[in-house]
Amino acid sequence: MSPDLGKCSRSLLTCEKSNFLNEQSRHEVHVSRHCFNYKISLLLPECEVLPVRVENVIHNFSSYYLVRDLPVYKFLEEKWLATVVKKGSFYALSCKTRIDEDNVCALLPSGQLILSLDKDTYEHLGLEGRPSLYSHKKVMRYVVSVDLTNKSLVPGTKRYQQVLLCLKERVMLRSDFLLTTCHPGADKDGALHNLLSQYTYEECRPTLHSQTLKNLFCPSLHHSDLRGKGLSCTPNQFLEWLGAVNLNISCDNSAVSFLSTYMCPEPRAPVSQSVLCTVTGLIPPKDVCRLLKELRCYFAEPNFAAWVSLTVHGFVDCPVSWGAAEHGFFKGGENLYNFVCFKNQDYWLYKATGSEDACPP
Amino acid sequence: MEEKSASYERVVYKNPSEYHYMKIHLVLENADTSISAEEFKYLIISGLKDLYGEVGAAIPFDVLTFDQTALSAILRVFNSGLVKLWSALTLTGSYANKPCAFRVTQVSPFLLALSGNSREMEV
Amino acid sequence: MVRLKARCVRTNKLFFPCFVSFLDGCGACVYVCRYLLCEVCVSQRSKLQLLEEKAIFQAVKSAVAKAHGEYGAALFSIGSKVTYLNAYTGVVMLRFRKAFYQLLWSALPFINSIGPQGRKVPCFFNCIYVGGTIKTCQKFLVRYDRQQLYRMLPHCKTGAEKQEVRRAVQTCSHSFYKATQQEDDDDDDDDGGEEGEEEETIVL
Repeated sequence: MSPDLGKCSRSLLTCEKSNFLNEQSRHEVHVSRHCFNYKISLLLPECEVLPVRVENVIHNFSSYYLVRDLPVYKFLEEKWLATVVKKGSFYALSCKTRIDEDNVCALLPSGQLILSLDKDTYEHLGLEGRPSLYSHKKVMRYVVSVDLTNKSLVPGTKRYQQVLLCLKERVMLRSDFLLTTCHPGADKDGALHNLLSQYTYEECRPTLHSQTLKNLFCPSLHHSDLRGKGLSCTPNQFLEWLGAVNLNISCDNSAVSFLSTYMCPEPRAPVSQSVLCTVTGLIPPKDVCRLLKELRCYFAEPNFAAWVSLTVHGFVDCPVSWGAAEHGFFKGGENLYNFVCFKNQDYWLYKATGSEDACPP
Repeated sequence: MEEKSASYERVVYKNPSEYHYMKIHLVLENADTSISAEEFKYLIISGLKDLYGEVGAAIPFDVLTFDQTALSAILRVFNSGLVKLWSALTLTGSYANKPCAFRVTQVSPFLLALSGNSREMEV
Repeated sequence: MVRLKARCVRTNKLFFPCFVSFLDGCGACVYVCRYLLCEVCVSQRSKLQLLEEKAIFQAVKSAVAKAHGEYGAALFSIGSKVTYLNAYTGVVMLRFRKAFYQLLWSALPFINSIGPQGRKVPCFFNCIYVGGTIKTCQKFLVRYDRQQLYRMLPHCKTGAEKQEVRRAVQTCSHSFYKATQQEDDDDDDDDGGEEGEEEETIVL
């Protein structure tokens, strides 16, 4: 066959094994660097209903706001800078904009405003940026990064005026935004409500969906065997199986089946019931951290489970994946990570990215 | 009972998956035509056969799920067959002499990624 | 002129045997080619006389279309040609573009007959050599045909037949060596080989 037809774009998977009790363990850093989380999926084998404590944590997740038609320059206004941006832990991501077609904007908690723009908008805008890392022969997309906490961007300075002029007069960038703050007390004082009052906005709660799966075949995992050399299945097989469980794909096909030959990887064991719980919304990393902490305590109570798994999906149209690393869509825009927590506080961390992403940290 | 907790270990895999997964759906002109999973797979195979001949028709792929009401499916195909399957889906134009089209929603080397597509978010 | 591969062989002759130009709407395209020498094996040798270039081209085309579909047929339609046919020995030289010759080659075993409906000649293709230029194919073919002659020798029944074969072996080796020695002195490049010239040497 012709060689070009057999080629595929690259994808990356990093696997890490460590212990939560290890002082050098960087699990919290990894979680907090992945800013925009769309969906959390939790799989608890040998469990009948979602434990109350886990459910409580999920119910205490921060709300997020959907603001319609918010101009980007608003983030630069004095009120916004003082009340939300400079306090940190403010997340904003334009929604219903596709990173391979439209202009996408994201505000990181560090105060960095990242604009991923198509060529025309970039040229009109006049702000300095750099070509996207994942351009082809002809650059069609540019990334502009503005640090709103920078001293040169204090209201009144020349640079501030220039940025404001670009975003306000030259090209009025506006789109629907998803916003969240992670201060539990921040929305109580109503500062954000105040700022949003002149726009149509709604407060949304992350949606929780939980189901009990009966008679499932689960791959057996052993905490020492990360690479799958016999005691566990390989990382890739495990992720495939997790996906199959999440998408409700049957795992008991025969090898001669016409439709599908997918099977649960070996070694495996039957599990009478397990809980699959998903949370969707804009979930700040702090909430993921809290949930992860709760999961570690899950093993304190006696139960039969050997492991639990926590998967976190990022937004596919987000301009960043981990930290400020550029992210693109190409075919699937996947950026996700998965924790497998074991009884002895060991954990595995899988991080997967597609072709338009740097290697996960 | 448990052995001592393990030390830090890190592995990076490039192109870890030998499969690609595609989420697709079929658009038919007549919305109430019912089609079974077997017919659905056969339609794709005949599309492959038209474009890539008998060699193409032999490309192995799995229909992991098929939703009869929405006519959506998740396919699993070897990396080497992805481009051929995708192009055959694009060029499939008729089912039972009626116009039809396949829409590819998402393609990923990770099946898990298909379960969390933020483009499906309803806000 | 569009050059698909930026490689040029400078020779003192006007031939560029690695490239073949095709005129299309915008100008000439140059492709790198591969030549496949195939033996058409039939049950009765007399049927070989029925073969013609067009029929072989059609047979290969339909085999490619069957095995590789529209994609294969499209690849076949550019740059493919039956360069040479010897109806006595049943040797066919096919020209394909280098980038896709393996794909097109893979369809050849599926040919089981040649010719129009009603006058079908059952046969199969046996690929004996793959070359980058007509010249190398020609050199191989001369060597190959001489071997075939040697093989014929023990099967000869009458003395006259034997004599005929011996004479053929002698003439072909004689003319071939004379031709190659002369050319090898001229240059070491992979050039030469006009079709007319080559047939002169090969036809026994």
